[in-house]
Amino acid sequence: MLYRTSGQFKTTYRSDQALFPIRQDAILLGLILIFAWAILPFTASEFAFQTLLIPVLIYALAATGLNILTGYAGQLSLGTGAFMGVGAYACYKMITIFPEMNLLVAVLASGLFSAAVGVMFGLPSLRIKGFYLAIATLAAQFFLIWLFEKWAWLYNYNASGAIQVPNVEIFGVHFAGPLATSQAQYYFVLVVVTLLTLVAINLTRGNLGRSWKAVRDMDIAAELIGINLLKAKLTAFAVSSYIVGVAGALFVFSWRGAAEPNLFDIELSFRVLFIAIIGGLGSILGNWLGAILIVALPVVLNTVPEVFGLDIKSATVEHINVMIVGALIVFFLIVEPHGLARLWALIREKLIHWPFPY
Amino acid sequence: MKQLTRLALAGAVAAFGTGAVAQELFTPNLSYRTGPFAATGIPLMNGQKDYMDMLNARDGGIGGIPINFEECETGYSTEKGVECYERTKGAAIVTQPWSTGITLQVLPKTNVDQIPILAPGYGFSPMSDGKTFQWAFNPPASYWDGASMLLQAISDGDLSNLEGKKIAHLHLDHPYGKEPLPLFEAMAEKHGFELLPIPVGLSEMQNQSAQWLQIRRERPDFVIMWGWGAMNAGAITEAVKTRYPMDQFVGVWWSGHSDDLQLVGEDGAGYRAISWSLPNPDAPVMAAIREHVVDTGKTLASAEELDEVFYGRGVVISAILAEGIRVAQEMHGTAEISAPQLRDGLANLDFTQARIDELGLTGMMAPFSTSCSDHTGHSGGWMIEWDGAKFVQASDLLTADRAAIDPLEAEKAAEYAAANAPWPVNEDCDS
Repeated sequence: MLYRTSGQFKTTYRSDQALFPIRQDAILLGLILIFAWAILPFTASEFAFQTLLIPVLIYALAATGLNILTGYAGQLSLGTGAFMGVGAYACYKMITIFPEMNLLVAVLASGLFSAAVGVMFGLPSLRIKGFYLAIATLAAQFFLIWLFEKWAWLYNYNASGAIQVPNVEIFGVHFAGPLATSQAQYYFVLVVVTLLTLVAINLTRGNLGRSWKAVRDMDIAAELIGINLLKAKLTAFAVSSYIVGVAGALFVFSWRGAAEPNLFDIELSFRVLFIAIIGGLGSILGNWLGAILIVALPVVLNTVPEVFGLDIKSATVEHINVMIVGALIVFFLIVEPHGLARLWALIREKLIHWPFPY
Repeated sequence: MKQLTRLALAGAVAAFGTGAVAQELFTPNLSYRTGPFAATGIPLMNGQKDYMDMLNARDGGIGGIPINFEECETGYSTEKGVECYERTKGAAIVTQPWSTGITLQVLPKTNVDQIPILAPGYGFSPMSDGKTFQWAFNPPASYWDGASMLLQAISDGDLSNLEGKKIAHLHLDHPYGKEPLPLFEAMAEKHGFELLPIPVGLSEMQNQSAQWLQIRRERPDFVIMWGWGAMNAGAITEAVKTRYPMDQFVGVWWSGHSDDLQLVGEDGAGYRAISWSLPNPDAPVMAAIREHVVDTGKTLASAEELDEVFYGRGVVISAILAEGIRVAQEMHGTAEISAPQLRDGLANLDFTQARIDELGLTGMMAPFSTSCSDHTGHSGGWMIEWDGAKFVQASDLLTADRAAIDPLEAEKAAEYAAANAPWPVNEDCDS
């Protein structure tokens, strides 16, 4: 009914290959974008910005980066947290060395550092696969965290070993640091995330994305049809690490405001991996659904007892929260092992066919 | 239907901003009763909560206004901590971040949000400089005070005794554990002892065999521990296993937790820690807590927990906050104080011995006072010693060597202000 596609004729290849061949998809996305760009920034409270909106955007971006590597190119990585750290520390060093540098440039450039590191640790992927590669990326995780702790130059010899985001302004408006308003931080993150998501969608639809998928599905077959494995795998590592690095820079500069090395520990890697898996490997939409489930839902659940006026101890709420989120993850994975994105795809298909059952 | 609408409205309010609360003093506590550090957090949180509950039951709050001592669970996670901070800051008159990581994140925002941070005995040592850190308070002693007192204790009061000695600093590899390093380094240079920093990663807290192998090989004359959570118990069991002499093993106040020592019992006898609070079951305040909170079944603490070091410390922490509120009420002539007014109260604390006795805290804390420029007070502390079953007081009151700390503190505070420019510095403070 709502998703009736009859009457939407495609007369050119160009329109058939458009980003959204079905009009309703474009309308839906347009509504969400209007909501994100024009409505939320003026209605959300400080609490919503800091605990729901900004983190969901950043985690979704990080998961997008990982999804390109794991979901599209089939290379399992456990080093996401550390690559985020590379981006964050690179951005921190650039901003403290060149204080007049534009933050947007710094954030986008910090991805280049993590891309370089990612390619370096991606080299073993040419020889090893699957779990063995996961162990190699795990080595990156531990090595990089160790480096963040021991290389005092990275945190400007701060006594406590943590990095603190200085106040950064662009054209007189503070976008990072304690003086930045949540609204400014949100818009900054939104610009970067929208831009990179658009790039990611188009990359995965294009030539490069197809070669990644071919490598994922069967690398020997891919090689036989003329895909350069070296190029495909390393570009996947580079693009993925770039996006993850930018997410890391945003993570610290636009949200946390300060970071110690163990913030980028393996827990963060797992968190991003869970978002990608629960959202759906090999999809961009899934990262967003996953981030909403893993990042935003617990925060919302925490406020539930307060709303209903129930007098439950804060620690008990925390325990219940963990149980509910855990149960939901198990439930969704049983209902649809391919993730939330696949669940949405099924619902959408049913809507298109409705009221016919096939 | 009306009910539903109201629920939805309440939901909207809760999700998008905390509603206004009337006629109470909202002093949220970012507690951690879950997660890897829960064992050390629970007694502290219980002590804090019970003292405030006692005031509510006995006096009807402070100045006639009840205290809303709500807890927000962080599990010691920085991310949850910031969530809690954002959720509570609307109505709160104080932030009690309870972790160095959360303090680090919240500290730069305080100038903007204008809410005082109360971090008793933790956080940044330079926070003591009230001119630079106008909204942060870490009474009654900073980590650098603790480091200085520990050095006095192991050198029998004369730091020149340490010349040529080797001292290991066994610490959590975290901002918290690294905090005293600048002072130790300065002291090592000045008094000619060798400092051996031994970091313990967060993932190795429970298994410190590598660190203790190093200690066995290097044979330091003293081991100073800056541990927290599972690390304390890990270090103490390893020390017993490697037969490191307990009388040469000392810790900071967060490493003096009875439960950690209970594991080794007699074998841990002789272990000492510095502490700015003492448990005193006979203090009048404990009797009041028993009467109003424990006997009425409102406490979460077990009977034996009441006599422990950490429970007593929780009580002292809440007493400091309550006194700050009272001073603020008196200064501003209103019972319902705001966050900036509480800041004035915390900056004008005066815990004389007479006042301590009046509050019923006899023998639980040392006298100190804060000022506009001194947000710590530097009360000093006592060494407490594990006798095999409990911690007992093992020294007279020690005080930190402020002459050695002050220049370092000023330097680090200025560094922080410079790194976070533009950072407002209050030049009006003179005392």
